Amino acid sequence: MPIRLENKNNLTVCHIDGEIDINSSPGIKKAFDKLIAKKEPKVVVNFSKVSYVDSSGLATLVEVLKNMRTYGGRLRLTNLSPKIKSLFEITKLEKLFDIVAEEEEAISTFM
Amino acid sequence: MLNLGQSVFLKNNDKIKKTVVKIPSDIKYIRRISSKVLEAAASHEIDDSMKFDIRLCVEEALINAIVHGNRRDVTKPVKVTYWLKNSNLNIEVEDRGSGFDYRQLSDPTANDNIMKGSGRGVYLIRSLMDEVEYNDTGNKVKMTKRLGA
Repeated sequence: MPIRLENKNNLTVCHIDGEIDINSSPGIKKAFDKLIAKKEPKVVVNFSKVSYVDSSGLATLVEVLKNMRTYGGRLRLTNLSPKIKSLFEITKLEKLFDIVAEEEEAISTFM
Repeated sequence: MLNLGQSVFLKNNDKIKKTVVKIPSDIKYIRRISSKVLEAAASHEIDDSMKFDIRLCVEEALINAIVHGNRRDVTKPVKVTYWLKNSNLNIEVEDRGSGFDYRQLSDPTANDNIMKGSGRGVYLIRSLMDEVEYNDTGNKVKMTKRLGA
Protein backbone atom coordinates (compact mmCIF):
# COMPACT_ATOMS: atom_id res chain seq x y z
CA MET A 1 0.00 0.00 0.00
CA PRO A 2 1.83 3.14 -1.16
CA ILE A 3 1.58 5.96 1.38
CA ARG A 4 3.30 9.25 0.63
CA LEU A 5 3.92 11.76 3.40
CA GLU A 6 4.36 15.42 2.66
CA ASN A 7 5.03 18.40 4.93
CA LYS A 8 2.97 21.45 4.10
CA ASN A 9 2.42 24.53 6.28
CA ASN A 10 3.74 22.78 9.39
CA LEU A 11 1.42 19.82 9.08
CA THR A 12 1.68 16.37 7.56
CA VAL A 13 -0.35 15.44 4.50
CA CYS A 14 -0.72 11.71 4.02
CA HIS A 15 -1.57 10.51 0.51
CA ILE A 16 -2.92 6.96 0.40
CA ASP A 17 -3.00 5.23 -2.97
CA GLY A 18 -5.30 2.23 -3.38
CA GLU A 19 -7.74 0.45 -1.09
CA ILE A 20 -8.07 0.64 2.68
CA ASP A 21 -9.32 -2.83 3.49
CA ILE A 22 -8.60 -5.89 5.63
CA ASN A 23 -5.48 -6.66 3.57
CA SER A 24 -3.94 -3.19 3.57
CA SER A 25 -5.10 -1.94 6.99
CA PRO A 26 -2.16 -3.38 9.01
CA GLY A 27 0.35 -1.55 6.77
CA ILE A 28 -1.61 1.68 6.95
CA LYS A 29 -1.86 1.38 10.73
CA LYS A 30 1.92 0.92 10.93
CA ALA A 31 2.52 4.08 8.88
CA PHE A 32 0.22 6.10 11.13
CA ASP A 33 1.78 4.59 14.26
CA LYS A 34 5.08 6.24 13.23
CA LEU A 35 3.37 9.63 12.99
CA ILE A 36 1.66 9.04 16.34
CA ALA A 37 4.97 8.03 17.96
CA LYS A 38 6.32 11.43 16.88
CA LYS A 39 3.15 13.06 18.26
CA GLU A 40 2.37 14.75 14.97
CA PRO A 41 -0.04 17.52 15.96
CA LYS A 42 -1.93 17.87 12.66
CA VAL A 43 -2.40 15.23 9.98
CA VAL A 44 -4.43 15.56 6.79
CA VAL A 45 -5.26 12.34 4.96
CA ASN A 46 -5.92 12.83 1.25
CA PHE A 47 -8.32 10.19 -0.11
CA SER A 48 -8.22 11.30 -3.76
CA LYS A 49 -6.54 8.01 -4.79
CA VAL A 50 -8.50 5.77 -2.42
CA SER A 51 -10.99 3.72 -4.39
CA TYR A 52 -12.36 1.39 -1.70
CA VAL A 53 -12.74 1.25 2.07
CA ASP A 54 -14.21 -1.61 4.09
CA SER A 55 -15.15 -1.92 7.77
CA SER A 56 -11.56 -2.91 8.66
CA GLY A 57 -10.36 0.30 7.00
CA LEU A 58 -12.93 2.34 8.90
CA ALA A 59 -11.87 0.65 12.15
CA THR A 60 -8.22 1.46 11.41
CA LEU A 61 -9.03 5.13 10.88
CA VAL A 62 -11.04 5.20 14.12
CA GLU A 63 -8.04 3.67 15.93
CA VAL A 64 -5.70 6.31 14.45
CA LEU A 65 -8.06 9.09 15.51
CA LYS A 66 -8.36 7.63 19.02
CA ASN A 67 -4.58 7.36 19.37
CA MET A 68 -3.99 10.89 18.07
CA ARG A 69 -6.50 12.28 20.55
CA THR A 70 -4.49 10.87 23.47
CA TYR A 71 -1.85 13.59 22.94
CA GLY A 72 -4.15 16.26 21.51
CA GLY A 73 -3.32 15.50 17.87
CA ARG A 74 -5.86 16.30 15.20
CA LEU A 75 -6.79 14.40 12.07
CA ARG A 76 -8.53 15.69 8.96
CA LEU A 77 -9.80 13.67 6.02
CA THR A 78 -10.09 15.22 2.59
CA ASN A 79 -10.96 14.49 -1.05
CA LEU A 80 -13.26 11.56 -0.25
CA SER A 81 -15.20 10.19 -3.21
CA PRO A 82 -18.98 10.48 -2.82
CA LYS A 83 -19.18 6.70 -2.35
CA ILE A 84 -16.57 6.56 0.41
CA LYS A 85 -18.07 9.62 2.06
CA SER A 86 -21.41 7.81 2.08
CA LEU A 87 -19.85 5.01 4.17
CA PHE A 88 -18.88 7.61 6.78
CA GLU A 89 -22.45 8.91 6.69
CA ILE A 90 -24.07 5.47 7.00
CA THR A 91 -21.86 4.51 9.94
CA LYS A 92 -22.24 8.00 11.50
CA LEU A 93 -18.45 8.33 11.50
CA GLU A 94 -18.90 11.68 9.78
CA LYS A 95 -19.78 13.01 13.28
CA LEU A 96 -16.47 11.74 14.62
CA PHE A 97 -14.13 12.76 11.82
CA ASP A 98 -13.27 16.22 10.58
CA ILE A 99 -14.02 15.84 6.85
CA VAL A 100 -13.15 18.66 4.47
CA ALA A 101 -13.89 18.66 0.73
CA GLU A 102 -10.53 19.70 -0.72
CA GLU A 103 -6.93 19.36 0.46
CA GLU A 104 -6.13 23.05 -0.07
CA GLU A 105 -9.03 24.08 2.14
CA ALA A 106 -8.17 21.38 4.69
CA ILE A 107 -4.65 22.80 5.02
CA SER A 108 -5.40 26.51 4.89
CA THR A 109 -8.15 26.31 7.52
CA PHE A 110 -6.37 23.84 9.84
CA MET A 111 -5.70 26.20 12.78
CA MET B 1 -12.96 -28.87 -0.55
CA LEU B 2 -13.38 -27.58 -4.07
CA ASN B 3 -10.55 -25.69 -5.64
CA LEU B 4 -11.16 -22.02 -5.93
CA GLY B 5 -12.61 -21.26 -9.30
CA GLN B 6 -14.48 -24.52 -9.63
CA SER B 7 -18.15 -23.98 -9.35
CA VAL B 8 -21.01 -26.38 -9.04
CA PHE B 9 -24.13 -25.41 -10.88
CA LEU B 10 -27.28 -26.50 -9.16
CA LYS B 11 -30.69 -26.37 -10.70
CA ASN B 12 -33.66 -26.40 -8.45
CA ASN B 13 -37.26 -26.78 -9.49
CA ASP B 14 -37.41 -23.15 -10.59
CA LYS B 15 -34.62 -23.80 -13.11
CA ILE B 16 -32.47 -21.25 -11.36
CA LYS B 17 -28.77 -21.64 -11.98
CA LYS B 18 -26.91 -21.39 -8.71
CA THR B 19 -23.15 -21.19 -8.45
CA VAL B 20 -21.50 -22.72 -5.41
CA VAL B 21 -17.88 -22.01 -4.51
CA LYS B 22 -16.02 -23.23 -1.46
CA ILE B 23 -12.89 -21.44 -0.28
CA PRO B 24 -10.45 -22.07 2.56
CA SER B 25 -10.72 -19.64 5.46
CA ASP B 26 -8.10 -17.22 4.21
CA ILE B 27 -8.82 -13.58 3.49
CA LYS B 28 -6.62 -13.69 0.38
CA TYR B 29 -9.57 -15.25 -1.49
CA ILE B 30 -12.20 -12.63 -0.76
CA ARG B 31 -11.44 -10.31 -3.68
CA ARG B 32 -11.67 -13.17 -6.19
CA ILE B 33 -15.04 -14.23 -4.83
CA SER B 34 -16.51 -10.72 -4.89
CA SER B 35 -15.30 -10.40 -8.50
CA LYS B 36 -17.05 -13.65 -9.42
CA VAL B 37 -20.29 -12.45 -7.85
CA LEU B 38 -20.05 -9.17 -9.76
CA GLU B 39 -19.47 -11.10 -12.99
CA ALA B 40 -22.72 -12.96 -12.32
CA ALA B 41 -24.52 -9.63 -12.07
CA ALA B 42 -22.94 -8.30 -15.27
CA SER B 43 -25.96 -9.27 -17.37
CA HIS B 44 -27.73 -6.36 -15.69
CA GLU B 45 -26.74 -2.76 -16.18
CA ILE B 46 -25.54 -1.80 -12.73
CA ASP B 47 -23.69 1.39 -11.96
CA ASP B 48 -20.40 1.77 -10.13
CA SER B 49 -22.16 2.67 -6.89
CA MET B 50 -24.12 -0.58 -6.86
CA LYS B 51 -21.01 -2.55 -7.82
CA PHE B 52 -19.24 -0.99 -4.84
CA ASP B 53 -22.12 -1.95 -2.52
CA ILE B 54 -22.24 -5.55 -3.76
CA ARG B 55 -18.47 -5.95 -3.52
CA LEU B 56 -18.41 -4.46 -0.03
CA CYS B 57 -21.26 -6.61 1.29
CA VAL B 58 -19.85 -9.83 -0.17
CA GLU B 59 -16.41 -9.09 1.24
CA GLU B 60 -17.79 -8.09 4.66
CA ALA B 61 -19.81 -11.32 4.84
CA LEU B 62 -16.72 -13.33 3.82
CA ILE B 63 -14.54 -11.57 6.41
CA ASN B 64 -17.09 -12.35 9.11
CA ALA B 65 -17.23 -15.99 8.01
CA ILE B 66 -13.44 -16.41 7.76
CA VAL B 67 -12.32 -14.36 10.76
CA HIS B 68 -15.18 -14.71 13.25
CA GLY B 69 -16.95 -17.87 12.05
CA ASN B 70 -14.09 -20.20 11.13
CA ARG B 71 -11.44 -18.26 13.10
CA ARG B 72 -9.09 -18.36 10.08
CA ASP B 73 -8.83 -22.17 10.27
CA VAL B 74 -7.89 -22.90 6.64
CA THR B 75 -9.15 -26.47 6.96
CA LYS B 76 -12.65 -25.13 7.45
CA PRO B 77 -14.31 -24.01 4.23
CA VAL B 78 -16.57 -21.07 3.63
CA LYS B 79 -19.35 -21.89 1.20
CA VAL B 80 -20.61 -19.16 -1.10
CA THR B 81 -23.73 -19.67 -3.23
CA TYR B 82 -25.03 -17.02 -5.57
CA TRP B 83 -27.76 -16.79 -8.16
CA LEU B 84 -29.95 -14.40 -10.07
CA LYS B 85 -33.71 -14.60 -9.84
CA ASN B 86 -36.16 -12.01 -11.16
CA SER B 87 -33.46 -9.33 -11.33
CA ASN B 88 -32.49 -10.06 -7.74
CA LEU B 89 -28.92 -11.02 -6.99
CA ASN B 90 -28.87 -13.47 -4.08
CA ILE B 91 -25.72 -14.38 -2.18
CA GLU B 92 -25.42 -16.88 0.67
CA VAL B 93 -22.28 -17.13 2.77
CA GLU B 94 -21.98 -20.03 5.21
CA ASP B 95 -19.18 -20.88 7.61
CA ARG B 96 -18.51 -23.84 9.92
CA GLY B 97 -18.49 -21.78 13.09
CA SER B 98 -20.91 -21.92 15.98
CA GLY B 99 -22.67 -18.81 14.70
CA PHE B 100 -23.70 -15.70 16.55
CA ASP B 101 -26.90 -14.08 17.69
CA TYR B 102 -27.38 -11.36 15.11
CA ARG B 103 -30.31 -10.00 17.15
CA GLN B 104 -27.94 -9.14 19.98
CA LEU B 105 -25.51 -7.07 17.92
CA SER B 106 -24.97 -3.64 19.34
CA ASP B 107 -25.52 -0.57 17.21
CA PRO B 108 -22.08 0.61 16.05
CA THR B 109 -23.44 4.12 15.44
CA ALA B 110 -24.48 4.59 19.10
CA ASN B 111 -22.36 7.08 21.05
CA ASP B 112 -21.05 4.33 23.35
CA ASN B 113 -19.90 2.22 20.38
CA ILE B 114 -18.81 4.75 17.77
CA MET B 115 -15.13 4.55 18.84
CA LYS B 116 -15.11 0.74 18.85
CA GLY B 117 -13.23 -1.21 16.22
CA SER B 118 -15.85 -3.81 15.40
CA GLY B 119 -19.49 -4.18 14.49
CA ARG B 120 -19.62 -2.13 11.30
CA GLY B 121 -19.44 -5.04 8.83
CA VAL B 122 -22.89 -6.45 9.58
CA TYR B 123 -24.26 -2.92 9.91
CA LEU B 124 -23.00 -2.02 6.42
CA ILE B 125 -24.50 -5.22 4.98
CA ARG B 126 -27.86 -4.42 6.55
CA SER B 127 -27.68 -0.84 5.27
CA LEU B 128 -26.60 -1.55 1.71
CA MET B 129 -28.43 -4.77 0.83
CA ASP B 130 -32.17 -4.85 0.15
CA GLU B 131 -32.79 -8.00 2.20
CA VAL B 132 -30.62 -9.77 4.78
CA GLU B 133 -31.54 -13.00 6.53
CA TYR B 134 -29.61 -15.19 8.95
CA ASN B 135 -30.30 -18.80 9.77
CA ASP B 136 -31.17 -19.59 13.39
CA THR B 137 -27.61 -20.64 14.22
CA GLY B 138 -26.20 -17.43 12.77
CA ASN B 139 -23.54 -19.12 10.65
CA LYS B 140 -25.26 -18.47 7.32
CA VAL B 141 -26.32 -15.16 5.88
CA LYS B 142 -28.43 -14.63 2.77
CA MET B 143 -28.22 -11.23 1.14
CA THR B 144 -30.36 -9.94 -1.72
CA LYS B 145 -29.74 -6.93 -3.92
CA ARG B 146 -32.36 -5.75 -6.40
CA LEU B 147 -30.54 -4.97 -9.61
CA GLY B 148 -33.35 -3.28 -11.46
CA ALA B 149 -34.30 -3.95 -15.07
